[in-house]
Amino acid sequence: MRRLTRSFVAICSTLALTAGLAACSGGSDEAGGSGDTIVAETAFSLATIDPHRQFEFTGSTIDNALYQTALEFKDGDLTKPTDGLCSFEMSDDDKTMTLKLKQKDAKFSNGDPVTVDDIVFSFERLQGLKGNPSFFLDGVKVKKVDDETIELKSEKPNPALPYILPNSSIGIVNSKVVKENKGTTDEKDDAEQFLNENSQGSGPYKVDTYDPDSQVVLTANEHYNGPAPKYKRVVLRNVSAETQLTDIQSGQAQVAYDLNSDQANSIDDSMAQKTSLPSTRSLYIFNNMDSKVSDITTNEDFRKAVASAIDYDKILELSGEGAQRMAGLVPNEFNGAVPKDQAPERDLAKTKKLLKKSGYDGEKIPFHYSSDQSVNGVDLAQLAETLQAQLKEAGINLALKPAPSATQLDGFRSGKQPMGIGTWGADFPDPSNYNVFVPGGSVAERVNWDKGADPAITKLAEKAEKADEDSRGDAYATMYKSLSDTGVWIPLVQPVDTIVVGNSVKKFVSNADTSFDFAKAE
Amino acid sequence: MAEAAPTAASTTETTPTSGTTTGDAAQRIEPPKLHPLLRFILIRIGISVLLIWGVTIVTFLLTNLVPTDPVAAILGDRAAADPEIVAQTRERLGLDQPLIVQYFTYLSNLLHGDLGVSNQTRTPVLDSIGQVFPASIELGIGAILISVILGLLLGLLSALKQNTIVDHAIRTLSLIGISAPTFWIATVAYFVFFFKLRVIPGAGRLDPWITPPPKVTGLYTLDSLLAGQMATFTNALGHLILPSCVLALFTIGLLTRFSRSSVLDIIKFDYVTAAKAKGLPTSTVVFKYIFRGALVPIITVVGLAFGSLLSGAVLTETVFAWNGLGQYAYRGATTLDLPVIMGVGLVIGIVYIIVNFIVDLIYGFVDPRVRVR
Repeated sequence: MRRLTRSFVAICSTLALTAGLAACSGGSDEAGGSGDTIVAETAFSLATIDPHRQFEFTGSTIDNALYQTALEFKDGDLTKPTDGLCSFEMSDDDKTMTLKLKQKDAKFSNGDPVTVDDIVFSFERLQGLKGNPSFFLDGVKVKKVDDETIELKSEKPNPALPYILPNSSIGIVNSKVVKENKGTTDEKDDAEQFLNENSQGSGPYKVDTYDPDSQVVLTANEHYNGPAPKYKRVVLRNVSAETQLTDIQSGQAQVAYDLNSDQANSIDDSMAQKTSLPSTRSLYIFNNMDSKVSDITTNEDFRKAVASAIDYDKILELSGEGAQRMAGLVPNEFNGAVPKDQAPERDLAKTKKLLKKSGYDGEKIPFHYSSDQSVNGVDLAQLAETLQAQLKEAGINLALKPAPSATQLDGFRSGKQPMGIGTWGADFPDPSNYNVFVPGGSVAERVNWDKGADPAITKLAEKAEKADEDSRGDAYATMYKSLSDTGVWIPLVQPVDTIVVGNSVKKFVSNADTSFDFAKAE
Repeated sequence: MAEAAPTAASTTETTPTSGTTTGDAAQRIEPPKLHPLLRFILIRIGISVLLIWGVTIVTFLLTNLVPTDPVAAILGDRAAADPEIVAQTRERLGLDQPLIVQYFTYLSNLLHGDLGVSNQTRTPVLDSIGQVFPASIELGIGAILISVILGLLLGLLSALKQNTIVDHAIRTLSLIGISAPTFWIATVAYFVFFFKLRVIPGAGRLDPWITPPPKVTGLYTLDSLLAGQMATFTNALGHLILPSCVLALFTIGLLTRFSRSSVLDIIKFDYVTAAKAKGLPTSTVVFKYIFRGALVPIITVVGLAFGSLLSGAVLTETVFAWNGLGQYAYRGATTLDLPVIMGVGLVIGIVYIIVNFIVDLIYGFVDPRVRVR
């Protein structure tokens, strides 16, 4: 028996010794890797890096580093589109945009120069693929004028076009190489896999390896016409937020995208730097306008009672430092945002009166939300529970209906949910992107708020659409304030986008346009 | 060894064909006798094939019973509002076909080795599984080795030292192993051993600045050895240690308890008492008599545990950024990627069936009585 015990101890010791040796030899003394590699971690939201198909956060982050665009937002100022590969000019009626190739020294990663043909092909491919981002150039006719000029003609006035073109989904690809690899400007295109493994851009990086489930590695594009990036290699890894927190503190990673404000604040300043940007996402409550779906949410007094029953300061606290109140659905930094000071406040006496007027008698209202979703660190399940508790204090009973994101989204789109939490991420930083919430818009239809249901708002929307550059911001703000006043959409909070950067990175650029610019990090 | 019962065919006389008169000279046709072990293997293969077919039906039906339109998960808000794009997407995915047509298309593709294409990433599911499965195999092998060695030894020790302090300590530890939540253990272990003590490398299968070895098996430890890249090998092994240990905790607890009770059953048998009475060395009694007798039920648990280690490591893989089948399955489930869900379901089903098949074979070798049942 003693011999058995000795054998057991010997085996355990051997295992421990093997583990120890392997661990020590595998351990890294060079946290952060070699000097020319930067490691960034995020929980992947990635389907493709084909620029004309991608419509997810991680895909956009990667394509920002791979592709140049016709226009840009200089220094992340989302209110001022500036020249990119091209300079631009809008006609007085906002129907025609003229692009002139400006960066004639721009080269793709194989050394080919960027031409007007490449830009035209890229625009037409985006339109023809009929993918998620195709709507960006809906109703726009693309025409090559000469070897330096492109004309974009819109059916209707399109003042938002300069704000759309900087989007990474409209990255410029090498048309010659893409065509050689089954690329077309219609649905027959079959170049996606090729582009995932062999990026064809003129940005500071090119793709080295692509694994949408695990890791994407980028290497410097030696033909890039801008300053050569200090970090020659970017490793973007699919890592959960909990692990990101440990990795950023240990130096294993230099950039962490997904830490919520509590996690970010728990990091000692000697280990990392925190950069907070206003998120371009909005969180709101929706109320269904079809009496067959809900008798009570169609009642304006009830909706206003809900809006005045919410403790917005608590919601702000829940969303973390840097989150902002919203008086409308448009983020505060955009042209056309309703000033924050016009946001509603909690007023339980007003709620009581409105509830009495509405005839609400305490019945439970199904309240839908995505149970597995977190928006810039705001956990929707926690938010729903908080709202339930706050409204209960005011005498409004919510029956929580959590569901996985895909199921919730499907239910919302079917127009059968009486009430719930919605989120909207800006496709481009212009108030016209939020027209979908106006009666008859694609999101409004999900709450059965059909065209013509509110003539006053429709009139204000038309007025804003026709407004000139100087007055359109105010016109949109007026319209979105009226939209909030109906209570069909109750804006809750504009979260904060926190990026944590390791202290080994001495200089970096982080802004609302590119989040974190790998090419400018040192 | 008892002979297999004669089959019905072997006892039936052949009927003379009309027009031929064989009279008393009619001969019995003796079918060739199969070796019992071979017959046992063939029956098990047949059952396994039927089970795999059953798995295809179950995974297909369950996946299609999800009360959500997969198109909703694929299309963005704007595209989903365009009926033309919705219809095109539905057609591209074959979702416009009746369910029965979809199933037979799926089955036909399956027979040609095609598990379909991911709705989200548009990459062939088989290719993706080929990429992620070796990672899970590597993790599973690491975990099962640790589990089997420690679990069996602890169980044996616990049984032999029944009702002593050693027994109580081992039982307590095994209970902790079984009941501790994996996600919490993994997070704490990563924080302590990587961040605080710095004795293991970080998340992932390799450090981010190390290039994976040339792919042969997909197991980084093995491939780096084959390529003679010792630095990569030690790095890969270092990355493997902690997730393997975390993943092994539950199985160690399970195997400890199972082997303890199995050994305690065997110890009471007369042949063990006789072996001791003959004055055989303790190690011979323990390993040749007790342990071998206790092995049959333990094999079942080891087999099932290995299957679950390969397929159920979602949480461990998530914490350690280990790009394996578990993470791939999780991603497929959350994005309602039907081909991925069906592909992973099928692979996991096949893994379990193969493991069970191997367990059955091992039974056949370990316990001759099994072959004649």
